[in-house]
Amino acid sequence: MTESIRQFFANRKLRDYATGYAFVIPALVMYVIFVVYPFFYTIYLSLTKWDGAKPVKEFVGFLNYERLFADPRLWSALSHNMIWIVLGTVTPVAIGLFLGVLLWRGLRGMVFFRTVYFLPVVLAPVAVGIIWKWMYNPQFGPINSTLRAVGLDVLAKGWLGDPYLALPSIILAGVWGYFGFCFVVIMAGLQNIDMEQIDAALVDGANGPQRLWYIIIPGLRHVLTMITAFTLILGVNVFDIVWITTRGGPGRATHVIATYTYNTAFRESYVGYGSALAIVMGLVSLVLSFIFISIRERGGD
Amino acid sequence: MASDVGASYQVARQPRRPARYWIARAVLYGVLILFALYVLVPFMWVVFTALKSNLEIAQDPLGLPPNWRFENLAQAWNQGKFSRYFINSVIVTVPIVMLVVSLSCLAGYGLARLKMPGRMLIFYFFLVGLMVPFTAIMIPLFYILRDIGVLGTYWAMILPQTAISLPFGIFFMRAFFSGLPYDLTDAAKIDGCNDFGVFRRVMLPLAGPAVAALVVFNFMGAWNAFLLPLIYLQSDKLRPVMTGMMFFTTRWGPDYSMSMAGTLIVMLPIMLVYLVFQRQFIQGLTAGAVRG
Repeated sequence: MTESIRQFFANRKLRDYATGYAFVIPALVMYVIFVVYPFFYTIYLSLTKWDGAKPVKEFVGFLNYERLFADPRLWSALSHNMIWIVLGTVTPVAIGLFLGVLLWRGLRGMVFFRTVYFLPVVLAPVAVGIIWKWMYNPQFGPINSTLRAVGLDVLAKGWLGDPYLALPSIILAGVWGYFGFCFVVIMAGLQNIDMEQIDAALVDGANGPQRLWYIIIPGLRHVLTMITAFTLILGVNVFDIVWITTRGGPGRATHVIATYTYNTAFRESYVGYGSALAIVMGLVSLVLSFIFISIRERGGD
Repeated sequence: MASDVGASYQVARQPRRPARYWIARAVLYGVLILFALYVLVPFMWVVFTALKSNLEIAQDPLGLPPNWRFENLAQAWNQGKFSRYFINSVIVTVPIVMLVVSLSCLAGYGLARLKMPGRMLIFYFFLVGLMVPFTAIMIPLFYILRDIGVLGTYWAMILPQTAISLPFGIFFMRAFFSGLPYDLTDAAKIDGCNDFGVFRRVMLPLAGPAVAALVVFNFMGAWNAFLLPLIYLQSDKLRPVMTGMMFFTTRWGPDYSMSMAGTLIVMLPIMLVYLVFQRQFIQGLTAGAVRG
């Protein structure tokens, strides 16, 4: 035994390999136990009926998945995620691009504005949710109070209590929390745009929108893809701010896939069905990742 | 506004500025200030509300506090057990950041610079983890943590939060180490360093900025985590700041001044740290997007 170990270490190549694995194995062990194994465990649980307490998990095959397709709550939650992705991407990118182009050539007070715009990014989504829950408060909240103070009482609404307004209201709160992130990343991207191209376009008489469309946006292609990936992941995974502000209500008007899954598995104790929902969420992420990667590969050349 | 895109440079060079320039400037600053107000005004109202009594809120929800009641903060601090929550947050965040950074440096370096069979396979295996959302593994993790006996201890957050942060950390550090020149390692090897010596004495000292970005990124991730402690740290004794704040504001629901005072207590430290280390924060939090 000791002899074979000695021989092993005498072999230089094997010793190099062993060193390499020694660097990787601690991370690998953590990753396998707490990410990979649970992922397969979720697949297994999704094929069972279990309340989380009984000693036996009843194997039911694909029953949970059959129920998924007929579950209107799942489809409404997924549609809310889609709205999150679209509104939550377009709005901050538009704001970030607008401000980025304004501040692009440098300006007195640049550092101040950047510091302010980025400020909400360091806040936890929980804090953002609590702040905006107060902003939207129907009785004393600053938004309704301001509207009443200027005589626009008709516009004062129960923002988070109205099934049509609740979701866009939460999304706008979320956008407040991270448009500064998009702004900073776009600013970084703008630094790489070739000034001579802009000057040449000016000489050729290109107007502002033309310069924006033909030079600036193509120059930001890489950065915009990165931001979209970020907002996409956010839109699929969003949980904190929804849970803090409405817990999915009123009714099911703001439930997203993550809140629906959490609610089903941990509050209603349908662990098997919750796991099937979790797998749906994993699949959505996977598909979007592949789409994103293929777009990026194509844009890379 | 749009016609001004990229043109201010040209205009600014002219020695005498026409009136048009000043109007453009005014509109420009007006827009920038408008967005600054969009960010700052909600903060302002949190502060105002936190420092009023509930009666004062009902009478004038918008205005300055008639009496600045700083004692509200002390009351929220005591009644909300925030000292306990802050200590809990530190107890879970520090080991998470240390574990993620050290394991990511080791594995990232190994996957970037050391020879071993299956190196790319292992790297792709980690990369798949970037696509797995926490929600997809959160349910069985609860039962796994229960079965290995860590539920009811801080480890119930430290272990899974570390593990889910590793794929990005490894991806990030591998990209960094791959970019370093090979002459350095070769020189150190000729001088008699072994692989670990090269890593510790030559590579790691160069990794300062990357490590700093990773520290900020993971500190924020762990400190701000909500769903994970909501599920795995349910005991009030273990609760970190984020879930603690939620329970506090829920319990004091209609007591607006108390719940805003609690929110202010939680926000203030991170905002102050941000204002001091602004550059590092912005670099750390955007590192993934700007580099990738």
